[in-house]
Amino acid sequence: MPGLGTSFGRGGATTALQDLQNADAILIMGSSMAENHPVGFRWVIAARERGATIIHVDPRFSRTSAMADMWVPLRAGSDIVFLGAMVNYVLANGLAFRDYVVAYTNAATIVDERFRDPEELAGLFSGFDEHAKRYSADTWGYAGADASSMRAPQRDPTLQHPRSVFQILKRHFGRYTPEMVEDACGVPAAAFLRIADAFCRASGPDKTAAICYAVGWTQHSTGVQIIRTAAILQLLLGNVGRPGGGILALRGHASIQGSTDIPTLFDILPGYLPMPAFDEHSRTLDAYIQKNSANSGWWSNLDKYIVSLLKAWYGDAATPANEFGFGWLPRITGDHSHLGYWLDMADARRDFEGLFVMGQNPAVGAPNARLERRALANLQWLVVRDMVETETATFWLDSPEVQRGELDPSTVRTEVFFFPAAAHAEKNGCFTNTQRLLQWRDKAVDPPGDARSESWFIFHLGRRLQARAAAENNPRDRALRALTWSYANVGPHGEPDIDHVLQEINGFETRDRALVSGYTSLAADGSTACGCWIYSGVYPERGRNRARDRDASGPYGKGWGYAWPADRRILYNRASARPDGAPWSDRKKLIWWDQNARAWTGLDTPDFTRDKPPSYVAPPGASGDAALAGDAPFIMHPDGMGWIWVPSGLKDGPLPVHYEPLESPVKNALYEQQINPVADPKARADNPYADSPGDPRYPYVLTTYRLTEHHTAGGMSRTLSHLAELQPALFCEISPALAEEIGAPNGATVSIATPRGVIEARALVTPRMQPLVVQGRTIHQVGLPYHFGGRGLVRGDVANDLVAISEEPNVRIMEAKALVCSVELKRR
Amino acid sequence: MSTTAFLTDSTLCIGCKACEVACKEWNGIPGDGFTFTGFSYDNTAGLGHSTWRHVKFIERGSAPTGADAGYRSNTFRWDFSSDVCKHCENAGCLEACPTGSIVRTEFGGVFIQPDVCNGCGYCVVACPFGVVDRRPDDGRAFKCTFCYDRQKAGLQPACAAACPTRSIQFGEIDDLRRRAGERIEELRARGIEDAAVYDPLETSVGGTHAMFIFRGDPADYNLPASPEVPTIHLRAGWQSAAAAAGLMLAGIAFAFGSLGERRGRSGRAAR
Amino acid sequence: MSYYDLPLLKSPVWTWEVPAYFFVGGAAGAAAVVAAAARAAGANPALVRDARWIAAAGGALSPALLISDLGRPERFLNMLRVFKMQSPMSVGAWTLVAFSNAAGASAFAATAHRALGGRLPVKVVGDAAEVVSAATGLVLSTYTGVLIGATAVPVWSRNVSLLPIHFGASGVGAAVSMLELMGHRDRALNAIAIGAAATETAVGLVLESRGDPALDPLKQGWSGSVTRAGGLLSGPIPLALRVLAGRSIAARRIAAASTIAGSLLTRIGWLAAGRSSAGSPGASPD
Ligand SMILES: Nc1nc2c(c(=O)[nH]1)N[C@H]1C(S)=C(S)[C@@H](COP(=O)(O)OP(=O)(O)OC[C@H]3O[C@@H](n4cnc5c(=O)[nH]c(N)nc54)[C@H](O)[C@@H]3O)O[C@H]1N2
Ligand SMILES: Nc1nc2c(c(=O)[nH]1)N[C@H]1C(S)=C(S)[C@@H](COP(=O)(O)OP(=O)(O)OC[C@H]3O[C@@H](n4cnc5c(=O)[nH]c(N)nc54)[C@H](O)[C@@H]3O)O[C@H]1N2
Ligand code: SF4
Ligand code: SF4
Ligand code: SF4
Ligand code: SF4
Ligand code: SF4
Ligand SMILES: [Mo]
Repeated sequence: MPGLGTSFGRGGATTALQDLQNADAILIMGSSMAENHPVGFRWVIAARERGATIIHVDPRFSRTSAMADMWVPLRAGSDIVFLGAMVNYVLANGLAFRDYVVAYTNAATIVDERFRDPEELAGLFSGFDEHAKRYSADTWGYAGADASSMRAPQRDPTLQHPRSVFQILKRHFGRYTPEMVEDACGVPAAAFLRIADAFCRASGPDKTAAICYAVGWTQHSTGVQIIRTAAILQLLLGNVGRPGGGILALRGHASIQGSTDIPTLFDILPGYLPMPAFDEHSRTLDAYIQKNSANSGWWSNLDKYIVSLLKAWYGDAATPANEFGFGWLPRITGDHSHLGYWLDMADARRDFEGLFVMGQNPAVGAPNARLERRALANLQWLVVRDMVETETATFWLDSPEVQRGELDPSTVRTEVFFFPAAAHAEKNGCFTNTQRLLQWRDKAVDPPGDARSESWFIFHLGRRLQARAAAENNPRDRALRALTWSYANVGPHGEPDIDHVLQEINGFETRDRALVSGYTSLAADGSTACGCWIYSGVYPERGRNRARDRDASGPYGKGWGYAWPADRRILYNRASARPDGAPWSDRKKLIWWDQNARAWTGLDTPDFTRDKPPSYVAPPGASGDAALAGDAPFIMHPDGMGWIWVPSGLKDGPLPVHYEPLESPVKNALYEQQINPVADPKARADNPYADSPGDPRYPYVLTTYRLTEHHTAGGMSRTLSHLAELQPALFCEISPALAEEIGAPNGATVSIATPRGVIEARALVTPRMQPLVVQGRTIHQVGLPYHFGGRGLVRGDVANDLVAISEEPNVRIMEAKALVCSVELKRR
Repeated sequence: MSTTAFLTDSTLCIGCKACEVACKEWNGIPGDGFTFTGFSYDNTAGLGHSTWRHVKFIERGSAPTGADAGYRSNTFRWDFSSDVCKHCENAGCLEACPTGSIVRTEFGGVFIQPDVCNGCGYCVVACPFGVVDRRPDDGRAFKCTFCYDRQKAGLQPACAAACPTRSIQFGEIDDLRRRAGERIEELRARGIEDAAVYDPLETSVGGTHAMFIFRGDPADYNLPASPEVPTIHLRAGWQSAAAAAGLMLAGIAFAFGSLGERRGRSGRAAR
Repeated sequence: MSYYDLPLLKSPVWTWEVPAYFFVGGAAGAAAVVAAAARAAGANPALVRDARWIAAAGGALSPALLISDLGRPERFLNMLRVFKMQSPMSVGAWTLVAFSNAAGASAFAATAHRALGGRLPVKVVGDAAEVVSAATGLVLSTYTGVLIGATAVPVWSRNVSLLPIHFGASGVGAAVSMLELMGHRDRALNAIAIGAAATETAVGLVLESRGDPALDPLKQGWSGSVTRAGGLLSGPIPLALRVLAGRSIAARRIAAASTIAGSLLTRIGWLAAGRSSAGSPGASPD
């Protein structure tokens, strides 16, 4: 999550769900929290009942809106205008929490004089390479400091310097006015002002406001920058690191946070260590450490973490002599994100022989699902591990392509292996969810029949591969041979002992396998091993698995599970105290400096060196955490500041800019540049786009989302009668006005088309959908849940047949939340 | 053992249907059909033999504009309310049941003993709230059990346990009645004038073990404004039956006694 | 505002067996009364015997119908687990059990008596059974009105005071009509039939004159047509035939047939009206 990671230092929610009850206002935007995080939403209700103002900004009136004090519909894909206007509102009306901003953010920092803002370059930042469609961040740095040594940047605490971040910000968002919001988002200026006012009034020394978002923000070609805008707003209002404040990234699948912490992504290693690339910076371990660790701030410890990781993976085979096996790690040679791979697969590139699909159903859940289903037919083999026979497993048998005669089951050559998977209640293990919380769960029942856990599958697959590697003795298999892969087996089926895996993740002394108490005990000399440094501390000693803790009586849920890092529930909580160490206010106290104990103390684990006094000033030449002052709360950042301005780490600019979605009915009202210049639409014949702006064939805005009653691609909900009956059919939500325009009564079957495909859905005509007036034109929005597919108790067309494969530049996510479509009263 | 009850507070309900699903899950209820209704997000449409908790979705008002829609709004709202068997103090179903299958439990709930019910269907027409129904393929009548099994084991009902927002509160009945009153005060103070408690104490139903707080009229929620237990009709019915029987007896006796043909006096032709 | 025009109440789940039972049980109950009155008045033994047989046949058929309507027929006996005065269904079940046995016994006794010749015990048992069957018959042909009247279904409960009389008259009309069709011409039968038809006519007038919308199912739609047809066939039509052309045997036979059909249609109509009443949106119990 680079939006949060670059702004604050860590790619995770800054606070805990339980902490929402302490908020004075909560802005929910890009999320339908009541529907998709109903259990966490209880804390929103708790806040509301205590008098907080709940605000929901969403294209449609959802169950979340129904519970809010204020709801306003906006045009999908226009969030940066709305949030940018809130930033502008704060700046223009002097509402920033100035003491906080000056002390804890980089607002005062002076930026490189070569920097040019999109205001000057028609919507582009300086450093754009037109040809490669890429930015160089060279001009985005702090003045007089290159990217890796940000120490002692020039600062102007008066915030008056024209090249201070603060002044640049003012100019940058100067045209994001309430009128612009009205024009671009379709939100009446007065409504916007009510919301801006309510949110800002709930911020200050004795008040805090929180923001919750989820994939309504991320699934855009500008997703990361939407989150960035929210981060800027929260930093300006002093809402980060304080109770009832922060940004809560509401995560998706069980353990989706875990799947970035211990990633299923190609470009990071566990604990957000960068994946080595095929370049000179990764030629040696030293070069890698040199490039990626910072002189100051927590990342100066990177050497300890990477070496401990290598020790965990390669055990005794990892020695200082062989750089702890650093050379065995694979190297990135380009964009290996999975969306791009599907296109290669569709092109039947030889190097794609087979595919493992485990706990995913791309035939329904993935963008341009039609392309993806057809791509599957180009594989030699496909392994699907799931609890139900998904549309992915049967793409060759009953997919829409088969029904349309585009695929013939008798000629599909893909050999499909379907493995029954054990469900979460049928295996031990750990989830890491929304609030970075590790929660252990014990197996409740044995899995039925041949169903086995993922760990069983991977473990035994690994053992077989290792056995083969040992027999063949190929040089290329050295890493495989060196891999430590000897977990104790338990149970009749030889399940690997997950408890041991968690211990390995926690880390241990290599000498005697004594568990380490936390990541501060890790070393760079090979004396410790640790599978994921941020999780270190979860298993601090034998017999004490803190993910299993079940006493939720502590503040912010403390006592239940274990929140990384170091069981801190509210990150950057040093910011909850004034620079001098006293709370900003009694009402919002969290941690504070106890002069007698000479330690930070309070209601949460300090996210700060416990005995570093507020008055601490880094001596010259200090490095690492010692290089950060006693009033620098954002300890992951080399300057210890919250980053309003992101000098490096983002591919599409140091500040957010509004670009229209790749497909939009309107022109960008703010800049000449229509779309994110570094987003990759991956346009091609089988991934085509509507003309933009304003393709007359596709006049409506389409957005896709979830229903409480179903889960994602539906394998776990369309197959169960108790859920399936609650939402038995695919529908699209349209306003009465649009229904009238196309002549569709409630319940009628309509077809929805984009350049990628056409599907059928029942029309659910509801005043909860409203046409918006954007740039003087009436824009209709169409809402479409995406849970349906061709199998299960209830079936329907695949919404993702309409969505394009595209990549946001930072996280390479598709734009499933804002596209254009047509809707007609007819069968497909 | 205390007398327990539900207080379902719709002003806290997020329409997640966890209660509906938890109930089906706990009680092993079969599927209730896959029909798309087009009634907002309500596709199960009501309580029945296979839906014992049911969440209603009411869209009110039109064309929300500005930032004035939401839970307090009077221009546009989406109200959710989770319905359940009322566990009436005077329960029509219980009174009507000829087999004694329906009993009042020690917790005050109204419980159908599934091993006794013979599916006569009389409770179905005796419930003033349209709750209980006979399951066609099974033949017996079903409705909320008030989680008698769970309460026996010291657990709260599954629906209440699943509710994420405390919209469904479970507890001691007098306590809940008091809380309901306080909550209404609180809501009124917040400007929510039309909030009301639904707990028909004044009618012959005599109050329920499932009380509700919602906004608007009972009719909006498909609830009767003043439900009566059908046994109030018994007196009139039996009086009429007695009169009818008397008339019958007198008329027939009179006809034969004074008009009828005695043996010998006339007589019917042999067949 | 109503809730998507969905009914508030549950519709009766009863199928055709229940109106059939109302008809059969009503006629049988009345027949038992006729048998007892006729014998007490010294009427033709054949009439008594036939009336007893109608009662017995009805008493045998009724439980069969009722049982087959149960969701769990094998549990019919659970009806006899308890006796609940406040449950008309319970009262009815016990009544029916008593009636069926008594009516069967008295019919059997009558036959046995004729076959075996006047040996005392048979006749005594038979006559005692007759008294029981007549007493329970009175209940049997009227309680069904209470049964549906004491429910939450508006069209039924609004008429709870009328229904027992209505159903009683309907049963009596049907019973004497059956005897007439079996060839009995006792003047008493015609007189009783006139009384029943007059009652039915009066009931019809009362129902038709009331404007309560809850009564619409008795007047509109399929249920309305059937109820009205039933009313006409068991009220004014036989009444007119009997009063105006009572001397004609043919007219009386037509009147009898009409009454029987009317009685059956009445029960079908009322149950259909109940379904429609409970099923109509906004219908609220009272
Ligand atoms: N019941 C249930 N819960 C779930 C899931 C599920 O499938 N079912 N899925 C889980 C997963 S994997 C995830 S990732 C999360 C996702 O959780 P959410 O992000 O809450 O999920 P969505 O419903 O996809 O989208 C949220 C909202 O974004 C709105 N939206 C669409 N376009 C825009 C836009 O341009 N701007 C703004 N501001 N809003 C927009 C939609 O109308 C919708 O209300 O939920 C998790 N929880
Ligand atoms: N148009 C559109 N498309 C979207 C989105 C959107 O908002 N709009 N959202 C996107 C998002 S955020 C997500 S997360 C994806 C989700 O898309 P997918 O991940 O493709 O969909 P799921 O249905 O969650 O697939 C999970 C599968 O895992 C199986 N499963 C569950 N537990 C286990 C287990 O323990 N082991 C194994 N082997 N299998 C298991 C389930 O049965 C299910 O079939 O969809 C994405 N696609
Ligand atoms: S499914 Fe799990 S994660 Fe999602 S809302 Fe329910 S409890 Fe929370
Ligand atoms: S609501 Fe109906 S089913 Fe429930 S107790 Fe009352 S009468 Fe019985
Ligand atoms: S259907 Fe069952 S529960 Fe209902 S009244 Fe008849 S026996 Fe009792
Ligand atoms: S009390 Fe039990 S049976 Fe009744 S609705 Fe709740 S979960 Fe279902
Ligand atoms: S579980 Fe609670 S919040 Fe969810 S629908 Fe039921 S009553 Fe409402
Ligand atoms: Mo997700």
